[in-house]
Amino acid sequence: MTAQRSAPQVWSDDERVAVAVLAGLSNMTTARLRWLLGGRAPTDALDVASGSTPDGGPIDRVRHRFPEVAAAWSNELTAGASEEMAAALDRVGVRVIGPADADWPEPLRVDHDPPAVLFTIGSIAPDRRRVAVIGTRNPTEAGKQTAARLGYELSEAGVSVVSGLALGIDGAAHRGALASGDVWPIGVVANGLDRPYPARHAALWSQVARRGSLLSEWPPGTKPDAFRFPQRNRIIAALAEIVVVVESREKGGSLVTAREAADRGVEVMAVPGSPGVRSSAGTNELVHDGAGIVLSTADVLDVLGLDHSRTGRLVDTRPPPSERAGSLLPLLAERPATVEVLLDRSGRSLAELAVDLARLERDGWVHESDGWFQALDSWARVANDDGGVR
Amino acid sequence: MYASIASGVLFGARGHLVDVEVHVAKGLPGFQIVGLPDASVRESRDRVRAAIQSIGVKFPDIKITVNLAPSESPKSGSALDLAIAIGVLAADQHIPLTALDGLAAVGELGLDGSVRPVPGVAPIVGAVADHDVIVPCASQREAMVAAEGAVRPVADLAEVLGVLGRGDPWPVHPAPDAPSLPPSPTDLCDVRGQSLPRQALELAAAGGHHLLFVGPPGSGKTMLAARLPGLLPPLERQAALDVTMVHSAAGIALPPGGMVTRPPFRSPHHTSSQVAIIGGGSHSLRPGEVSVASGGVLFLDELPEFAPSVLDTLRQPLESGEVHVARAAVSARLPARFQLVAAMNPCPCGHRGEKPGSCECGADRAQRYLARVSGPLVDRFDLRVSVTPPDADLILSPQPGESTAIVAERVLVARDRAISRQGCLNAQLSGAELDRVAPLDSEALDVARSELERGRLTGRGYHRVRRVARTIADLADSGDRIDAEQFALALQLRQALQPQGRSGRCAA
Repeated sequence: MTAQRSAPQVWSDDERVAVAVLAGLSNMTTARLRWLLGGRAPTDALDVASGSTPDGGPIDRVRHRFPEVAAAWSNELTAGASEEMAAALDRVGVRVIGPADADWPEPLRVDHDPPAVLFTIGSIAPDRRRVAVIGTRNPTEAGKQTAARLGYELSEAGVSVVSGLALGIDGAAHRGALASGDVWPIGVVANGLDRPYPARHAALWSQVARRGSLLSEWPPGTKPDAFRFPQRNRIIAALAEIVVVVESREKGGSLVTAREAADRGVEVMAVPGSPGVRSSAGTNELVHDGAGIVLSTADVLDVLGLDHSRTGRLVDTRPPPSERAGSLLPLLAERPATVEVLLDRSGRSLAELAVDLARLERDGWVHESDGWFQALDSWARVANDDGGVR
Repeated sequence: MYASIASGVLFGARGHLVDVEVHVAKGLPGFQIVGLPDASVRESRDRVRAAIQSIGVKFPDIKITVNLAPSESPKSGSALDLAIAIGVLAADQHIPLTALDGLAAVGELGLDGSVRPVPGVAPIVGAVADHDVIVPCASQREAMVAAEGAVRPVADLAEVLGVLGRGDPWPVHPAPDAPSLPPSPTDLCDVRGQSLPRQALELAAAGGHHLLFVGPPGSGKTMLAARLPGLLPPLERQAALDVTMVHSAAGIALPPGGMVTRPPFRSPHHTSSQVAIIGGGSHSLRPGEVSVASGGVLFLDELPEFAPSVLDTLRQPLESGEVHVARAAVSARLPARFQLVAAMNPCPCGHRGEKPGSCECGADRAQRYLARVSGPLVDRFDLRVSVTPPDADLILSPQPGESTAIVAERVLVARDRAISRQGCLNAQLSGAELDRVAPLDSEALDVARSELERGRLTGRGYHRVRRVARTIADLADSGDRIDAEQFALALQLRQALQPQGRSGRCAA
């Protein structure tokens, strides 16, 4: 037991590879990994995991109680495993950092459930404030725009935007952040850093890696299993000073992150939505439970105690709509509308509406989904840009 | 003794003439049917024996051989019962042979001697051409649709024996009333609001375009689709005859006049099998739903719930207007000139389209659901319309929508316009013909160019949009050129199922 209390040591290069091999074992958990690495050189930990050095503790019990895990570990801990892992880390450009390293994120030193190791590309800027912007993978256009604007304006104010690089709100927040010139985005992901997930976010993934940092608790080769996402969320919550939830249904990963944040005393804020709209049910619930309300980026910057006068504005490059088409926009400003409602309110014919809406949509002023038209602001372009971010 | 009488059997939707020859001679008592009868025909031996005995005639206890000529084609069904019984009676000298000249008989026998209706009387009667034909009372009107000679309705075998054997006059049976009233006509005025789907219905009726409704449950997709046949003009004489033949063959109750004159509306359930939809079965190649809907509307509700194999078999009939069903021994060509209307939810949970943000399916899950309907099939729909649930205000409004009668009038005018211009409906226009009959004006060309350049419209999609735009122009009677508003409206009417709306990358 004394081993558990001794101060962590800085790992050598070989030891870092050994840690990666351990983390990559099947059925490895954060708790098991913490125990294996607690006060023990990683190379010794390999022997414990393989069963050649009994630890008289949890690992022996695991090996005893789950023979198939023991078999898998013995299988995976072959002589070549270290070389393969070293090659994989090298190929992807992943660094292995541990609690003794200088760039180990400060908040994780005091966390009650910290990762045992982090795999990173790029590095965390220690002097930057950090705000997590997260939300559903299935957002509305309005939600994506809000996320993109928050991402951009927070970055402009010098804040690192932390998010999970998932589809929907997460992606939009980082796209917004990357549209800013002064940016240090942090993406925390649930799988190994060798393969972008979701694949559609490959471009975004590499942009975040290049201009900020990507973090994962697991080594290259780890698959994006469903159970890893809630664990990833706790790291997002731990790293952030504020967690902003943009859109979430009544259940969802974002609420897991919000709860993890609340457990850690991290401020939770939420963008409220119209009652009765499913995609904002979760955020409204958060507001009801006392989360801070985010109506604009200034609300977040105020809590951080930052000046919000220097936030830049994105130039609106959309061609202005014709007068006739433009007069439809106020009808869509507050809430989405169907063609039926537009016909009723505008008094135009179906054909006139169709041509105006087609032009508005072409120029990025409105978005149609499943028969509903929504007005867009200039952030929609940023939020939906798949590969063209600078 | 030998006797022969004409009858017929059904293959697909066509009747085939069969000569029923009966030979009665000394020998071991027996009753044999040859000429490739299947089990259902062989069973008629027992029915015939019982029916003859029931009307008080002694069944000949010597050797009876029945041949169904032409003897190399397989026969199926109970329509030959009556002819076999008459043949036996004649061969056993209860009926003079001369009485059978120019006479045919179609019908099934009951054990008590009653004559029962069979499916396909109309096509069978059509096949026996110039013969006078004895038919079951209930099939009288059906027979009259196709008969060239006289139609002799009978209630039972005793009447037949009376007329043919004893020289009684033909009995008179008034034509029965319709077995069931046609369903109450559905009127478009029941639909409140829904301008875009209404417009799509009108265009589908006027241009013959296939139509797909995409919308959440309760948005009125089925209600709208059921109103399409009302907008279509009545069937023309030849089409009506073809449709009547198919309906008769499929055993569907015919309207009181005997002739199907309204375009049929068929909505098979999504669990229907491939054979039920396309036609087939090993015995008589029954017409499937595509044939029964010929000349009218085939409505497939919950499109993605149909088995993919069923949906893919629709592609050939959609292309050629007929199905060719072949089995080992038999094959049949059946008409399948139907207009396809389908409805589907936009996602598995069904809530997408209620209001942005109400759906709980992720993009991937929704995509997988939509992928159950193959691209080539979706591509056949010129009109793909999102249906949104109507506002409460509109449902409660006392103001009725435009009625079917008014819209049908406009539809008829537009159809005439298209037919007199190019000899077919706009949905059948080829790319080359489109250039001739549907040129775009410069403003519409701008809209088209920007859509094509942004990848929101493909070359094939462009043709489809133009076809619909042509129909819009025909309905408005606005001349030869398509203007920007008409083109944009046609685009708007094929918006549904583009994964991310028109802003998406996967435009078709």
